[in-house]
Amino acid sequence: MTTNTVVSVNGLEKTYGKANERQYRALKDINLTVEQGEFVGIMGASGSGKTTLLNMLSTLDVPTSGDVVVNGHDVTQMRGNQLADFRAQEVGFIFQDFNLLESLTAEENIGLPLALQGTASQVMDQAIYEVAATLSISDLLQKYPSELSGGQKQRVAAARAIVHHPAILMGDEPTGALDSTSARELLDLLTTINREQAMSVLLVTHDPFSASFCQRILFIKDGEIGSELRRGDQDRREFYQEILNELGTFNE
Amino acid sequence: MLGKLALAGIKNRRRDYLVLLAGLTMSAAIFYMFANLATNQAFIKANAAIRSANIIFGFGAVLLIIITVVYLMYANSFLLSMRQHDYGLFMMLGATRKRVGQLVFLETLILGTVATAIGIGLGLLMSKFLVGFLLDLLGLHLAHLTSFYVPAILATAVLYVGLFILASVFNLFRLTRTTVLKLLHSDSEANQPQVKPGRQFIQAILGILSLAVGYWALANIKMLMISAIPVALVTITIGTYLLFKATILMVIRQLRRTAWSKKHLNGFLLGQLNFRVYNYTRMLTIVSLLFAMALGAITVGSGYHRQLPRVVDHFSGYSVALHNVSGKEEKLIDQLHVAHQATYTQKRQGKVVAYNADEFERQPFEQQRFSKNGQKLIGYDTQSLKAFKKSGIKEMDFMALALTSAGPYAPQILSASQFKQQKGTKMTVTVIRVTNFTRDMAVLKKLNKIETSRFAQPSYMTVGSYQSFEMMTGFFGGFEFIGYFLGIAFLAMLASCLMFKILSGAPGDKQRYRMLFKIGVRQSKMRQGIAKEIGILFLIPGIMGVIDVLFGLQMFKPLMASPMSPYLGIGSTFLIFIGLYVIYYFITLALYWRIVLPQATND
Ligand SMILES: Nc1ncnc2c1ncn2[C@@H]1O[C@H](COP(=O)(O)OP(=O)(O)OP(=O)(O)O)[C@@H](O)[C@H]1O
Ligand SMILES: [Mg+2]
Repeated sequence: MTTNTVVSVNGLEKTYGKANERQYRALKDINLTVEQGEFVGIMGASGSGKTTLLNMLSTLDVPTSGDVVVNGHDVTQMRGNQLADFRAQEVGFIFQDFNLLESLTAEENIGLPLALQGTASQVMDQAIYEVAATLSISDLLQKYPSELSGGQKQRVAAARAIVHHPAILMGDEPTGALDSTSARELLDLLTTINREQAMSVLLVTHDPFSASFCQRILFIKDGEIGSELRRGDQDRREFYQEILNELGTFNE
Repeated sequence: MLGKLALAGIKNRRRDYLVLLAGLTMSAAIFYMFANLATNQAFIKANAAIRSANIIFGFGAVLLIIITVVYLMYANSFLLSMRQHDYGLFMMLGATRKRVGQLVFLETLILGTVATAIGIGLGLLMSKFLVGFLLDLLGLHLAHLTSFYVPAILATAVLYVGLFILASVFNLFRLTRTTVLKLLHSDSEANQPQVKPGRQFIQAILGILSLAVGYWALANIKMLMISAIPVALVTITIGTYLLFKATILMVIRQLRRTAWSKKHLNGFLLGQLNFRVYNYTRMLTIVSLLFAMALGAITVGSGYHRQLPRVVDHFSGYSVALHNVSGKEEKLIDQLHVAHQATYTQKRQGKVVAYNADEFERQPFEQQRFSKNGQKLIGYDTQSLKAFKKSGIKEMDFMALALTSAGPYAPQILSASQFKQQKGTKMTVTVIRVTNFTRDMAVLKKLNKIETSRFAQPSYMTVGSYQSFEMMTGFFGGFEFIGYFLGIAFLAMLASCLMFKILSGAPGDKQRYRMLFKIGVRQSKMRQGIAKEIGILFLIPGIMGVIDVLFGLQMFKPLMASPMSPYLGIGSTFLIFIGLYVIYYFITLALYWRIVLPQATND
């Protein structure tokens, strides 16, 4: 494996339910890789297994079989604290429902991943300051989540996801709860981060507009990867059309 | 259909319900035990010492009822916090408010009635075993202590079911008045408390002033008389509340600015506390006060009991007075370490008891000598016969030497020749004072037993310091018993008040810790974080309560004049009490961990 591969998944299976209960195979023999600095989208209908896949990659859940290697770490071999530390250091998360801690200010929310690693407070302030500038939320830092709009919340969440420079940024429908303007702003920001910091991004979505910001899209259906689209040199509008076309055929 | 849904909801959280039910059951059981002791007439009549503690029982009952009401309030809010999301959902799905209201009402009432019924049963059992055990521990033997007493059962049932009906009505209003949306999102609300430095400074000053007034009132109970207690109660309550309100937030606010808050979960902890403590101010105030009362009751009760031997010499100038000393008694007397011993001959005729002046010349009657303020025993004195005839003869110590069972009498000291001619029944009385009461206590006990079996005295009479000691032991032992009983009962309810209040916040915390789990916080870090957070919530009222007690004990200074002191030996009492409090902390913590901590795998 070259060091340029950030995520590599081999023969991943996930079956929900214990052996004696009713079982459901949510993922069947998934193979995929994400290169360093790539912006990859995962699309699929509801219930196709997108969230399940992301949970396996981010170690929130344990695969039934198969290998998942993220930034050189074999995730399936990790236990307990290793898993927690792995999430804290290698993965940045953005969730559909923001997942901000409402008892903390935006600044404290953003600083949390650094605080967990025991970063010195000056270093931490500097990092927060920089990421806030990138995401243009510098003037929101002292506010509590309850005082922020949905779009602002999601930008704070994005700041928290990247402040510690993780190997990969993962988002599960991060635009799902946003209006189209905020969604667009966020996607532009993700694109900027991806380009300027060469951070790999893995975006789960069922929305073709969001997907059109990606460089490559994997289509998943009934727990299997069905097809793949690459944006190549197309501009975003053309790619959007192509996605719509693909979805037309893919869903038949 | 809706009923089925509600039942399913309960089933899902059956462990939380079990905690709630257990708490309510314990509370009812404790109340029954106390009601049984306080209302059981046969028991009270049979125990003179306890009877005099009737006021204490009454006072205890009032406190117990107050804390029961507070307790049920918090238990109920815990119940509501568990259920409101479900009920909001039912309403959103189209269930009528009336229908949901009925459900809420029924659910609260059924839970309450079941808890009361089990509680009384448990109370019966505990009365039988636990109360006896506690009494044994204190060396008390109380007659007619039955565990089954119908009026106590009725009192418990009426109070609890009554309170639960109130709670049901309250829940009905709460749920039918709040909007569906609020019910559904009750967890995610978090109001950030405002901090206004100027106002908080004034609050802090006022708080400290109120506390000072309260503590001053307690220390000057001699001057203020009984009014000191309500004054202190009001000012200390207000003071504690203001002080908590003003300072805790300020401290958290300052801590949040430090570099310390930017390490690990510290910031999260402070954030949690910040918006918790504000909601908790009232709760923490009540808990700190009740903590103080409970600890105070135990401290004073056991303090009296333990320190009694120190003051026993104050009770009388002699330890025992024995009539017509027998050979067996002689042998026992030989075992005593005698400081003073004298024997006088009495001749009783009608209402007159005559003594021989010669005997008083030879061995004058020793009397206690007190310090100028009349509080401290400094030694023993004798008077000249002439002076003794005038004053000493009227002292209780001397009057008590003749047997009163034959009716009231007047003592007379006659010259040797007159005494010889005096008619009447002749007997001797020997007064003995020992050097160290505690050392000779066992022998004194035996002597007293023989004396009282040979010469019966009316039960209200005590002759000599040993008899006073026995009576006071019964009295203060009862006092101590009630102190321990109430103290432990308060503590149990208190700590579970705090527990329920904290657990009520658990559903919201569950999400927060889930988020922390997702961003990679180690399980052990989360455990530590929760332990600190809950620990602080337990610590604040605990510290305040201890301070309250330390000042509040001043109140008992007049009652426990030197060589007694309300502060003597409080260390061990505090230790026991705090130990129990800590146990509650760990129970709460374990429950919280179970409710809040996310499992390693996703759901
Ligand atoms: N904990 C679980 N236990 C059992 N089955 C599950 C569990 N979680 C998900 N599933 C099932 O696995 C399948 C994939 O679910 P997943 O959440 O990955 O879908 P998704 O693609 O994210 O859908 P959506 O777009 O609606 O979010 C679904 O059929 C779902 O019912
Ligand atoms: Mg999903």
